[in-house]
Amino acid sequence: MSEKTTTASAAMRLPASMRLYSETTVAVVIFVLLAALPLLVSGYSIYILPQYLLYGMLAMSLGILWGFTGILSFGQAAFFALGAYAMGLAAKWGVTGNPAYVGLLASLVVGAGLAAVVGYFLFSVGVRDVYFVLVTLALSIMVEQITVSQSQITGGYNGMFVPRFSLSFGVGPELDLSSDAAIYYVILPVVAAVYFLLRWLLKCPMGKVLVGIRENEDRVISLGFNTSLFKTAAFALSGAIACLAGALYGVHANFVSPSLAGVLFSTEVVVWVAIGGRESLLGALFGAVGVSALSNYLTAVIPEYWQLVVGIIFVVVIVGFKGGLAGAIGRAFGGEARNGGRE
Amino acid sequence: MNTALSVLVDSTLITFVFALAALGLAVVFGLMGVINMGHGAMLTLGAYFTWFATTAGVPFAPSVLLAAVGVGMIGLGLEHFVIRHFYDRPFETLLLTWGFFLITTEIIKIVFGTDLRTVENPLPGAIVFGTVVLPAYKSMVALTSLLILVGLALLLFRTTLGIKIRALVQNAEAASLLGLNIGLTYKMVFVAGAFIAGLAGALISPMLSVDPYIGNIFLVRSFFVVIVGGIGQVLAGTLIGSFLIGGSETLFALFSGQVVAQTIVFALAIVVLRFRPAGILRTR
Repeated sequence: MSEKTTTASAAMRLPASMRLYSETTVAVVIFVLLAALPLLVSGYSIYILPQYLLYGMLAMSLGILWGFTGILSFGQAAFFALGAYAMGLAAKWGVTGNPAYVGLLASLVVGAGLAAVVGYFLFSVGVRDVYFVLVTLALSIMVEQITVSQSQITGGYNGMFVPRFSLSFGVGPELDLSSDAAIYYVILPVVAAVYFLLRWLLKCPMGKVLVGIRENEDRVISLGFNTSLFKTAAFALSGAIACLAGALYGVHANFVSPSLAGVLFSTEVVVWVAIGGRESLLGALFGAVGVSALSNYLTAVIPEYWQLVVGIIFVVVIVGFKGGLAGAIGRAFGGEARNGGRE
Repeated sequence: MNTALSVLVDSTLITFVFALAALGLAVVFGLMGVINMGHGAMLTLGAYFTWFATTAGVPFAPSVLLAAVGVGMIGLGLEHFVIRHFYDRPFETLLLTWGFFLITTEIIKIVFGTDLRTVENPLPGAIVFGTVVLPAYKSMVALTSLLILVGLALLLFRTTLGIKIRALVQNAEAASLLGLNIGLTYKMVFVAGAFIAGLAGALISPMLSVDPYIGNIFLVRSFFVVIVGGIGQVLAGTLIGSFLIGGSETLFALFSGQVVAQTIVFALAIVVLRFRPAGILRTR
């Protein structure tokens, strides 16, 4: 505890704007490069990159919750899968209006709603820490089981087809998402927008309260904040982002199946965030992109050992590098005070 | 009437099987507060070791013992090299034991392959009491589970070691000031938990087909058994929790599918956690 307090106060000595400056610059540069990428390369990498970016968005939904509010969730995949199913069902049931927009809206409502209900139900009586982890773990198992058992709706184990919709904008021609470049330029701005929205939120008073809850919840309570409401809000936001990422993932992959909600995928998200750096949104985002890209590559090279390598890296990070890659990079370039925001 | 009786018998057997699967966790999580997310992997290891020994020609009973000892040794290594440095940091322990699960599962896949393995049922057949039919092997496992629970009760409440462990649970600092070797006691409890988990995995292996994720079926259920029963209530808590999680699942499965039943039970367990955070047995 004392160690944590001293590093936190060391970071506080620098003005907040300076500490945030470097990560924002890096983020802007990366997003601009990503936007230019389809002009330079084409083919498989342009097809697969949006999928990794959506994994990154899912990772950010955990990052805001775990890294900044101190609430660990082993159930992010449940929301991700629900979002994808919302898109599939919107198309299957042929809802009025553009099913793509109905599905996206539904995924936001379902994600935020479910997280708010579960969150408030538990946070309001002080269920926290590991108990909450176990509930989220159960949540992801329950969603997986419901999607398996309600096969007349969800297709059961066989999964469900999700079409690549066309987006209409009121004026002009419709944008058909079936081309890889088109969907790339829809997903990239969404991911970037979520990133900057979360960065902005963390600078707001609400973000300060969330970090306060992570550092010392009792102290925040004694300052007069209703922490259960703030935690519920953080979980709802996280659920909505995870669900939206899942909705886009369903459209991109053309497919959703129950394993998308499963425990293994849920905890893979935790691994990405831990390796990328739990206290940096950019770390979470590119932890997910990096690990899944490497995973895709190395599964072809060393199929048997790759997951083992990931497991070992995960353990090493937890034992020795709490800040993950983002923390390590921050220390290397900016010294103690500027490593990805904090600590 | 007949169905009612057989459902009762079925729920009782399931209760004891669940208690056995959860007991290792009840010891490690309930007594020491260590969130062992690797509990499922320990069950899986127990099952694989049993499969390995029986296919190598070792009779079933010694195979089970070998498997339990093997998992106990792995638990010793895990505790000594990793867990003991993180006793005061529950989140880190949770993540590290999950890392243990990830690594162990991959090693199992590499060493034993991903195909389904079957351990031959050493006691096929059934015991018939009038109209009630008891599957012989399941009954034997339930009986073993009861014996282990009684043995653990005697250990905790009738021996000096039991007094030391209970003292540690009650107040670790005071116990260490009175000269108790905390590190060693923690180590023994953790290894005992791993041993029991290995034993459980070994005994469960003939009832299911063995695959690298077999233990995970029991991971979340075991946690709920311990939480619903009450942390630290190793004996009565584990039994009551197992009955509420496992027994009620059997009951619900009568009216709906097995899968739906498990979903309902998980939802109920979350509700219990909400209203009785200290478990069924304790009043706040």
